[in-house]
Amino acid sequence: MIRKSGWLIFLAMLAAILALVYLFLGTAIRLGMVYTLEKAAGAEVNISNVSVSLAPIALNISELQITDNAKPSHNTISFANAKAAIEVWPALLGYYVIDDLSVDGLAYGTERSSPGKVFRGPNADPADKVDLQQLLLLDLPNADELLARADLKTVARGEELQQLAKNQQQVLKDLQSQLPDKAKLEQIQAQIKALTDSKIENPADLASKAAELKELQDTLRAERDKLKAVQQQLSQSRQQLQQAVSAVREASSSDWKKLQDLANIGEGGLAPISQILLGDFWGERIGQLEAVYRLAKPYIPANLPNSDEVPDPEIVMPNRILPLPSQPYPDFWIKNARVNWLIGGGEALIELRDITAQHDIINAATRFNAQVTGLPQLSLLKLDGDFAVLEQMVTNVNWQLQGINVDSMDIGRGETLLQLASAKLSTTGKLNLVNNQVKQQAQLVLQQPEFNASDNKYIQQLATLLNQQAEIPLNLNATGLISAPDVSIRSPLDKLLADAVMGEAKAKIAALQSDLRSKLDTKLQQQLGGQSEWLSMLNQQDSAAESMEGNIEQMLNAKLAGVKDQAKDKLKDKLRDRLGGGGG
Amino acid sequence: MLTLFARILKVLNSEASPWQIGWAIGLGLLAGLLPFGILTLLIILLVCLFTVNLATFILVWGLCSGLMFIFGDSLEALTWQYAQSPALLQLLAQSETLQMLHLHHTLVLGAFVLGMLLLVPVAWLGTILVKQYRGRVMSKLQQWKVVQMLKASKLVQLYENLN
Repeated sequence: MIRKSGWLIFLAMLAAILALVYLFLGTAIRLGMVYTLEKAAGAEVNISNVSVSLAPIALNISELQITDNAKPSHNTISFANAKAAIEVWPALLGYYVIDDLSVDGLAYGTERSSPGKVFRGPNADPADKVDLQQLLLLDLPNADELLARADLKTVARGEELQQLAKNQQQVLKDLQSQLPDKAKLEQIQAQIKALTDSKIENPADLASKAAELKELQDTLRAERDKLKAVQQQLSQSRQQLQQAVSAVREASSSDWKKLQDLANIGEGGLAPISQILLGDFWGERIGQLEAVYRLAKPYIPANLPNSDEVPDPEIVMPNRILPLPSQPYPDFWIKNARVNWLIGGGEALIELRDITAQHDIINAATRFNAQVTGLPQLSLLKLDGDFAVLEQMVTNVNWQLQGINVDSMDIGRGETLLQLASAKLSTTGKLNLVNNQVKQQAQLVLQQPEFNASDNKYIQQLATLLNQQAEIPLNLNATGLISAPDVSIRSPLDKLLADAVMGEAKAKIAALQSDLRSKLDTKLQQQLGGQSEWLSMLNQQDSAAESMEGNIEQMLNAKLAGVKDQAKDKLKDKLRDRLGGGGG
Repeated sequence: MLTLFARILKVLNSEASPWQIGWAIGLGLLAGLLPFGILTLLIILLVCLFTVNLATFILVWGLCSGLMFIFGDSLEALTWQYAQSPALLQLLAQSETLQMLHLHHTLVLGAFVLGMLLLVPVAWLGTILVKQYRGRVMSKLQQWKVVQMLKASKLVQLYENLN
């Protein structure tokens, strides 16, 4: 059962295996890397050689190129050489801890010797891009179209007002029937008059007349209470109607603002010209960050809350490390990295610390900084930031660049091509990335710009005007999904540019503005029509009720006082007769 | 292909006991399923120390490694799905020995569990099949012209001489 030469055979086999591993591990790693990177990048990946050295255990990668899937003749990222020294004990435990990583000759957008294969197309759909030519055709919507699109509040408030008025009409009808009958009041008035004019014969007569007067008085009081209730109701109705009328007027002015926004005529121009010119360009630049996100995503722990609305095609890793409750090391951890980046014809050195996707295990964020000076195309570059995957993946980057010589850059295409031939660019800004949601603010200044224009006369006007500017300041903000951010670009020159370039548009915009205003006013009149008559009618009713109330009050007070005075006079006369008769 | 066939025949017709061949098949399967690592070395050590048939072991190891290129992704996904039990994760986190065996790697864990489940049944089945072959098929097979031709071929003779 036991083989006597077993150990010898084992050692021989082990030696053979180690020799094979040493010879072929590089190739195996190269194939594995190409497979994984191609899945992540969606385009051809080339690695010319991967070798393994034993003391210290290190991996050398030569000439890596990742094809740009939007432009297969170029690479997104490439580097000449990378070396990673791996720690032995964590590697034995199955964790990839790299002490020092150095990348030399890293470049962005280099040309390939032959176009690479593309497996997954770029996300941006060219059909969705803003067409400058179409915008310059100034095909303004007409007033009716805008009114229909605006979902006007005036109409809704007007309908509410009409409904209210209809309800009030019914209420008013009911109220009229509750008003004291004029004939009845006149009859009471006549009865009171008869009572007060009649002579009081004796105390019994006084008492009976007083009782009769009191009865009439009670009837009058009841009528007065009814009248007060009617008055109160009238006042409420009037108030409600007045409120509804002012709501219609307010809705009309808010509708006007909304229509101005819809037609883009608020500030007297179309959308800011810098947004039209540069919006797409900047959006595409930010969208390129998504390639980095895609590369990083498979290594990010799966238990993070996934905020993606659109599920991405899942990238399956060949082997994953289970999420152990207490790991001695992160799945991968690069303690120090040094990247030599070829940029703008010169070189930049970037230093990074603690690169991992499990920052909670090492209790530190990934930090990076870069500072470059004296490059032929750039006088100063400062970049620093941090990156951490805790409850969310959060990245912060601050940058400052000065005096970049901008190479020729095309804005727009075809007939609406505007070419920035040369300029110097300075920019400061910050970027915050939470999962795949970007928030970016940047200030850019283009100095001494020189633009060339195509045959389009608007573009030519624009280029002439831009060439006259010593500086073009721009504020760039981007928010939203990293692959399709909402980009807002504003410049203090917007108004000036819009005035100059959109001169012809002004007349059209003014005409649209007056057409819109008159149509909105007509709508307002339609909604308000008739309601003012109703209001005056309510006022009339109210004043009629008031005069009636005055009349009743007069009847209640003046006539009652007359009867009492008469009774008093009579008593006085009687007393005087008796006293006068006794004394005379 | 011919060499492979001749090799199989040679092993089957050799003096090696059916159990030695059966265990070689089982352990070859286990080594083939596993990605290369410390566990593979331990299996090789076992194979070397015990009189397990080496030729069969190497043959089955190679075949099963090839199969893992096809089924590896599915096994990995399946393991990821079923290995999230807190008790298992706690156990793997506590023991550095288990981590040295890379059992916290999905593919290693999946392949190890599957290999261990199949080890004894495959070894037993292999033994039975070898016994059946030797008892019933071997003598008839020796008489087949194809086999005789194969045995007479220069390539096979050269192979036998080398062994």
